Amino acid sequence: MNAAIEATTDAAFEPSARPSLGVIDLLLRDRAAILARIRAGTGVPALLRAMIGTIAVTMAIVGAALGSYRGGVQIVFAAIKLPLVLLGTAALSAPALSAIGAALGRRSRLRADITLVMTALAFGSLLLVACTPLIMLGREMDLEYHRMILATVAMFSIAGVAALRVIWRAVALEAAPGWRTALAGMCAVFALVGGQLSWALRPYLVRPRAPEAPFVRAVEGSLFDSISDELDSARGIYTRDSAPLPEAR
Amino acid sequence: MTVALEAPFPVPSRLAMTMAALGPIAIGGVLAMRGGTLTPIVAAPAIVFGVVAATAPALYIATAAAGHAPRLADAARAFGVALGAFGIALAGLILPAAFLAMSSVSATTTLVATTAGLAAAGYLGLRRLARELDIGATVVSVLVFVTWSAATAGIAGRLWWDLAAEVVS
Repeated sequence: MNAAIEATTDAAFEPSARPSLGVIDLLLRDRAAILARIRAGTGVPALLRAMIGTIAVTMAIVGAALGSYRGGVQIVFAAIKLPLVLLGTAALSAPALSAIGAALGRRSRLRADITLVMTALAFGSLLLVACTPLIMLGREMDLEYHRMILATVAMFSIAGVAALRVIWRAVALEAAPGWRTALAGMCAVFALVGGQLSWALRPYLVRPRAPEAPFVRAVEGSLFDSISDELDSARGIYTRDSAPLPEAR
Repeated sequence: MTVALEAPFPVPSRLAMTMAALGPIAIGGVLAMRGGTLTPIVAAPAIVFGVVAATAPALYIATAAAGHAPRLADAARAFGVALGAFGIALAGLILPAAFLAMSSVSATTTLVATTAGLAAAGYLGLRRLARELDIGATVVSVLVFVTWSAATAGIAGRLWWDLAAEVVS
């Protein structure tokens, strides 16, 4: 039995014509085997390539599904932007796991940590793809815009927690000094960078009646400035005389 | 007898020290780009190394007086490892901090992102120093270390904040 699993695992990492499909199957069925490979440093470059490809394709599908809420060019825009957000955030955040861990005495390896983060995100992305029918259902049912946003947030939250569990499991197995701090630090950096990058590249989900769908909005204050402004507004502190009105046509 | 010490980092110690030297320059550079002045590029490493150099003897003296003094060579090595840890941590935090600062038009975001990066790396450096000095063996040594850390972080933090606030204002 073990030999059969080993053979399947080995086959998944073979640099053959279609390595990604075997790895994806393994990611869904036997994550422990993939984590063991990363820890041992076996076939890591092939695994990293497969995970990046998986994230790119799956998030493009999810983006297209979200974009279909408005339809038209927004399908393409969201399909391009969503993979960029996730891959960009991972590229900026994964080194923090290695760096914080190494500072506290963990035997960090940058490539292995990046592969681990990409593996976890690929798993989360696959879960999101599995939720795509729900997004399409919401669109078909003409689910109200704010409810659609809440449903999307719920799906992304579930996928995010599942991805975090993969990283947690892998890093906890090492039992290296400072692993909790390294993990918490990486999560904080991921949340901050991910929040800002997704904010910078918004919108993804656009109201069906919106006349135009911009690829990105003009550069303005950060997500955190926006939250700060919202908090001020909630307390009755306004920084402008009135809300902007649509231009007369 | 020769005792082979385990390497403190998964990267060469010299590289870690290089990161410690270049990290504050890079963080200062992010602030400098926002403020349009070169002062932070020089001032940031000066604050980090200046404050550590000025306060390190105090920790040695205080721990020695408390009866928990490592040998001078061990204390010097511990500070070297802690600075290396600071540099490695900062190397991992510079990119996110720079991204957060550059992707916003708000000067406050730059101020917060660069300060948070330095503060997090400083905290990790202090944690590593405590472990290298075996702080925690006695209550007195913990008290001494916490007091010294608060004073050192307070001085460095005040100097950095004054600099950063002036640059972005």
